[in-house]
Amino acid sequence: MIRAPLVKALGALSSPTHQIQIGSRAVRTTAVIAQQAPAKAPEKIEVFVDDIPVQVLPGTTVLQAAAQIGVEIPRFCYHERLAVAGNCRMCLVEVEKSPKPVAACAMPVMKGWRIKTNSDLTRKAREGVMEFLLMNHPLDCPICDQGGECDLQDQAMAFGSDRSRFTDINYTGKRAVEDKDIGPLVKTIMTRCIHCTRCVRFASEIAGVDDLGTTGRGNDMQIGTYVEKLFLTELSGNVIDLCPVGALTNKPYSFVARPWEIRKVSSIDVLDAVGSNIVVSTRTNEVLRILPRENEDVNEEWLADKSRFACDGLKRQRLVAPMVRMPNGELQAVEWEGALIAVAKALKKANGQVAGVSGQLADVESLVALKDLVNRLEGETLVTEQGFIKGAGSDVRANYLLNSTIAGLEEADAVLLVGTNPRYEAPLVNTRLRKAYVHNELQIASIGPKIDLSYQHENLGADASLIKDVCSGTHAFSKVLEGAKKPAIIIGADLLERPDGAAIHATILDYCQKLKKKDWNPFNVLQNNAAQVGALDVGYQAGVEAVIKAQPKVLFLLNADAGKLTREQLPKDCFIVYIGSHGDNGASIADAVLPGAAYTEKQAIYVNTEGRPQQTLTAVSPPGMAREDWKILRAISEVVSTPLPYDTLDELRSRLEDLGPHLTRLGELEPASLSEAGSQATISKSINGGPIDVKQKELRDYFMTDAVSRASPTMAKCISAVNKQQRQNEQAKQSVAI
Amino acid sequence: MSILRQVMCRTAPSSMQICVRYASNQDVAPLDLNTALARPEEVEQRNKLSGKITVPVDVNLSPISGVPEEHVRDRRVRIHIPPKNAMQSGTDNLSKWQIEFDNRERWENPLMGWASTGDPLSNMNVQFGSKDEAITYCERNGWRWFVDGDDKPKKERVKNYGVNFSWNKRTRVSTK
Repeated sequence: MIRAPLVKALGALSSPTHQIQIGSRAVRTTAVIAQQAPAKAPEKIEVFVDDIPVQVLPGTTVLQAAAQIGVEIPRFCYHERLAVAGNCRMCLVEVEKSPKPVAACAMPVMKGWRIKTNSDLTRKAREGVMEFLLMNHPLDCPICDQGGECDLQDQAMAFGSDRSRFTDINYTGKRAVEDKDIGPLVKTIMTRCIHCTRCVRFASEIAGVDDLGTTGRGNDMQIGTYVEKLFLTELSGNVIDLCPVGALTNKPYSFVARPWEIRKVSSIDVLDAVGSNIVVSTRTNEVLRILPRENEDVNEEWLADKSRFACDGLKRQRLVAPMVRMPNGELQAVEWEGALIAVAKALKKANGQVAGVSGQLADVESLVALKDLVNRLEGETLVTEQGFIKGAGSDVRANYLLNSTIAGLEEADAVLLVGTNPRYEAPLVNTRLRKAYVHNELQIASIGPKIDLSYQHENLGADASLIKDVCSGTHAFSKVLEGAKKPAIIIGADLLERPDGAAIHATILDYCQKLKKKDWNPFNVLQNNAAQVGALDVGYQAGVEAVIKAQPKVLFLLNADAGKLTREQLPKDCFIVYIGSHGDNGASIADAVLPGAAYTEKQAIYVNTEGRPQQTLTAVSPPGMAREDWKILRAISEVVSTPLPYDTLDELRSRLEDLGPHLTRLGELEPASLSEAGSQATISKSINGGPIDVKQKELRDYFMTDAVSRASPTMAKCISAVNKQQRQNEQAKQSVAI
Repeated sequence: MSILRQVMCRTAPSSMQICVRYASNQDVAPLDLNTALARPEEVEQRNKLSGKITVPVDVNLSPISGVPEEHVRDRRVRIHIPPKNAMQSGTDNLSKWQIEFDNRERWENPLMGWASTGDPLSNMNVQFGSKDEAITYCERNGWRWFVDGDDKPKKERVKNYGVNFSWNKRTRVSTK
């Protein structure tokens, strides 16, 4: 503040470095003023990009100002969602009256600046930077996996020189760097690295794992882990996308396909409850890879490793033909007709003693079809494998949703995690929490086992009675929650399966009534599978206990593979019909196995943990004789002569609309208000279920959680890599001890 | 479109000009007592005599577009803006709306190993300036359509180089 007027007085005489200081100082002071008097919006300043006037907020960078009018300044190190590094120099642009070109990504604009993004000076600067980059970059585009979707390739074409002055090839040769082994998912070809440090920033800022870094300087600079070590996080695949060159590539996908021969289908991921938006790359009816698709409300532009790499599980362990269990106890492949007739016979005999269990990967359409079928056969027991609180808890939507919304959590300033490990249950919810931790000074505490969440948090302990302490306001953390502008409490879905789950739920819900603010709902349940919210929305009950109690004659398992229901718990003559894509737990106990479509093979709706319905699209067709799940159920209904009243997807969707109008408003969020969420009379029940635990504590627990990821060889490799790393760490510790 | 024009010209040679004039006069049409009091049949008769024809607002080109009926009846068109490739930072081709048909089976051709398909519409790539243009196009061709995703305004982010070095914030960078 003291220096600013002095520098201003120097005026035109001051050097550009001084001008920068004025710029950043001006930004900071306005920011402070804005905080003190929030009513006054900061005044916009006018700059000119290629002589087009742009009004921008103070503190906007040159690159952002140019982007506002659609001028894209080339960049390598700059990334929207990462901190500004300013080290690649590709974004140099000319600013009138500035003696040197400025780095657009880091330089805040000043009033009246005239930025020239296509002047001779700018072009020369870009060309020079490009020449230096290419000098140290191998000419191996023809054998590089990034070829065709490479930023360096594109920008060399657009902004590079048309001839080379590189003669050193005859003397010392090109720079070469040894490749590093950083795990089974990311392949490194370090010679191609241009040192943009996007991967380093991603690892430390978003993933919260400070494993990657740089060593050496100048020409000897290297990106790596310093000591040989695997880069193991649940988000490691994102560095592949971030890498603007082919230095970090997808290991399972290496040398598989070229970007111009694949077809891209936008879809939704269902391997966790986040509902990340994805692009499925296919060729010849085969899913080759999965990439994230930008959705600011859900996954930003990241994707968790399981969602990205488990796609090879879609080709293994698949059910390709209907099967019926023979008298000798073996499953035998039959035609569809035979299988449907076998199921219909059992249904006729059952006399209304029919029940259905839905699993982790069931879509809303097939859930509704199964419900309608079972109801028409006069059965009533329809449950999900994943449990929830007993009683009528699932009648009110706000009781089982992540009400603060995924994007909303980024604005939270105090969060309590109860019996959940968001890092592995929903990695992209965890990145939001981490984002709030870094940028919003979020305070986090957890009740449950001690776990590494990739950010600092206070572990209050694992004792369930702590919930009562916090919710009665006697605990120290209650003060933090009550003092917060946007507090949130996140409960793990597994915790609510416990016998005292209802009491925990009611206690926290009551406390959240006290904490809630206008337009802010602090009560959150973090589901851990993609089907749960959809199933509860269309009226399924939670937990398989109801089925065991009902002792049905025919039981439908719709993608139910978690193994929560065993043959012994059911009557001896119970006929189990499994509908699903993979030969997993469910198929092994079934009497009739009907092959269904996996999530990449059908157009189907899934509702994510915040209650946002989104649809997958057909990327490939189901293998062999497999069919879409709802069509199988429709066919069964025809054979038992109680046909379901829908023949096409559109008709089925209008039935969905009858059940829940929000279900077909795809991509939109229907907020469930907390006031409807009636806390129940179960509050009298005490919380006494012993210490709180979470299922997924370490990275190795994360990789295989459902039928698709259990069938995936890549996921198996990940687990063995984690185990190997741990063995090495233990050996190192022992040798130090000796 | 040209086929349609031919058909129309054959039936009513001067219809095009007339309907253009008619449309432009529509909003300022003065109330003529004769017309206002006439019975509907009378009005129809008068219109016929005057050589005017009324072009229906919903034009369905599917009967004359030459697209096989199966591909009109059974197809579902997705109207969307192509997503940004996660591998690249460029955004040049991401402003146009595009139509895309539901995906049908593809297989590897045993002769060359190339991808084959029996779906003639899978490679049709039409871009539109706006969502409404795409919808109109689909309606005219008789396809069922749905709009996937809306162009939401981008969130403004504050980018500041200085936060890397702030001494009291968690944004301080340790590794690099």
